[in-house]
Amino acid sequence: MLLTGAQIIMECLLEQDATTVFGYPGGAVLNIYDALYEYRDKINHIETSHEQGAAHAADGYARASGKTGVCLATSGPGATNLVTGIATAYMDSVPMVAITGNVNLGLLGLDSFQEVDITGITMPITKHNFIVKDVGDLAFTLREAFRIAQSGRKGPVLVDIPKDVTAHKCEFTSQKPDHPVGAPALPDESRLLQAVELLRECRRPFVYAGGGVIASEAAGALRELCEKLDAPVSCSLMCQGGFDQTDERYLGMLGMHGTVPSALALKECDVLVAVGTRFSDRVICNADLFARGCRVVHIDIDSAEFNKNIYADLRLKGDARTVLEALNSRLEPASRPEWTAQIKAWQREYPLSQAAGCKDGVTPQYLLETLYRLAGDQLILSTEVGQHQMWTAQFYPFQKPRRMITSGGLGTMGFGLGAALGAQVAQPGLRVVNVAGDGSFHMNCAELSTAAKYNIPVIELIVNNNVLGMVRQWQKLFYNGRFSQTTLNKATNYELLAEAFGVKAFTIRTCRDVEPVLRQALDYRGPSLINCLIDSDMNVLPMVPAGAAAEEPILEIDEKEQQQ
Amino acid sequence: MSDTKATEYILSVRAKNTPGVLLRISGLFSRRCYNIMSIVAAQTEDEQYSEMIIVVRGDDRIVRQVDKQLSKLEEIEQVTVLERDSAVVREHLLLRVCRTPENSEFLVTLANALHASILQVSPTAMILELVGDATALNSLIELCKPCQIEQILRTGAMAMSTQGVEAC
Repeated sequence: MLLTGAQIIMECLLEQDATTVFGYPGGAVLNIYDALYEYRDKINHIETSHEQGAAHAADGYARASGKTGVCLATSGPGATNLVTGIATAYMDSVPMVAITGNVNLGLLGLDSFQEVDITGITMPITKHNFIVKDVGDLAFTLREAFRIAQSGRKGPVLVDIPKDVTAHKCEFTSQKPDHPVGAPALPDESRLLQAVELLRECRRPFVYAGGGVIASEAAGALRELCEKLDAPVSCSLMCQGGFDQTDERYLGMLGMHGTVPSALALKECDVLVAVGTRFSDRVICNADLFARGCRVVHIDIDSAEFNKNIYADLRLKGDARTVLEALNSRLEPASRPEWTAQIKAWQREYPLSQAAGCKDGVTPQYLLETLYRLAGDQLILSTEVGQHQMWTAQFYPFQKPRRMITSGGLGTMGFGLGAALGAQVAQPGLRVVNVAGDGSFHMNCAELSTAAKYNIPVIELIVNNNVLGMVRQWQKLFYNGRFSQTTLNKATNYELLAEAFGVKAFTIRTCRDVEPVLRQALDYRGPSLINCLIDSDMNVLPMVPAGAAAEEPILEIDEKEQQQ
Repeated sequence: MSDTKATEYILSVRAKNTPGVLLRISGLFSRRCYNIMSIVAAQTEDEQYSEMIIVVRGDDRIVRQVDKQLSKLEEIEQVTVLERDSAVVREHLLLRVCRTPENSEFLVTLANALHASILQVSPTAMILELVGDATALNSLIELCKPCQIEQILRTGAMAMSTQGVEAC
């Protein structure tokens, strides 16, 4: 059938089962929005307050569902507003297709109104990108974009489409995507056997799992490996819920804000099995001092990660689930009572705990543990970036994959609320809570209006300490308590602001408010905001200072000494 | 990992001949802090593809990283690290040098001795051309220096594997 470029875009989205699009209209995408009007029964478009919110929502949608998230923006500022969202998805290997309009073909390169070279701008932050200059290439390019986003190590792909290409007509034939995209590759048998040999002979194995476990749906295989090895496990920030954190094998995170048992296991293990991780500097801390006493088995789908940050003795290239299943089928269950006893002793000795700053004061630990007690595993938690993000990872026991949605690699403040909207749309059967700091909240709080408009029942939970807590913590430790620009003291009335946006508001002032307020917000069927006041000087601990070894976290910060 | 010595590696990169492919490759090098010594790119026998010869400075680990990161780009078909022992390597040099009645004969002799061509002669300048490996080009440049060099243009290295074309 003969279709316009804009109609071809709609048909290609339907082919890919991409029936939700987050976007914002504009001049260069008028034809596309006209087609969206025509396809409004088949494609659900959610209009955010800002294109950045649309990009984060597409990202949150992808992380919560495993499907490819789609966002749409006009040329120029519309396109550049997507950039932070695309970079966030790129750093965390999230499958996303971003579609941007551009000026007419004849106006390209002439500094036309709302023209930017968005393919040039996004080259370093996309897995691949395209500009489509001929409507005859449009369907093929969009199919390629979805294929690339989901294949191998996943990531964002941008397709830039000049306005007249969306008006030009072309013959279109529907074509179902040939998923799955190729069989996941396995490392060669000899490598696998070497790994099996190493894992059979080791005495103190330690498994460290990254985001690849979530991306490849490998949680079951990971659990089986840990059980067969009788090994403790640590998950990176990107793998929260990739292993059931209520299980006694789980030691907590590793690295800058890792737990002491994880650090000790890293120090004492003889084999570290790293699955689907890129050994971020936030995990390895001082690279020269990381995993010195053990051999490293590194499993990853992207061989460019091997020996990039950490030298691995044995490298297994492949899809995490496929490789883990191959290892599991070749391993006999082992029992390592001495190692297990040692791990348990460390866990007893070094539990994570947080003391309140004052009588009746709310601690993030109490807040998050209460939330877990009330809603269990029926929640998805997204976060912004900072102290509240680390507290969420530390104190909320995630049990299933895709339940914590956070910007790990790029560390994007302002990510969480948009991502929460996307996650809630993707998973209507679960409730989404965005744990935010008061700093991050101010970055993209206008997306509350999107939650209200579409009645997306997210709970915006602001852990409000009136400061940029993570930066303040560093100023406390390394800048003699000179709190340059980190005390916010904003006049914002959060409750009034929420209500102005059409969102119900609650306040938590003392620990006695926590449970009743959380209950009310969870019972309320629409979007709400909870302003939870906490002390300004709560820290994220343990902590490995820059340059130190991941094995040696500090456990407390002496406030008086630091602020003299 | 950092104790290995930095040397020059020659990469032969076959890529789809699309607009922007060179930008993708050079962008990758700059953002990952790899050192490009030279890059030569042109269409191949199949016009859908370009062949790029990139000379990289680094250690063994770096060159493996470059290889793997390049291979991840959608448009790249193949990356080959060429061994100098099993490849012919050539660069192209154009050199304009001041010509005087005193040095004229010297320059002609020099050009003949090093198999350089004389492309243009004027009363005050001479343009020489030489194709060869870096050593040959460098010696011509060194020997011309006393005569005052006005301009040097040189391409980066081109290299072709000799495998399958072993000398008899």
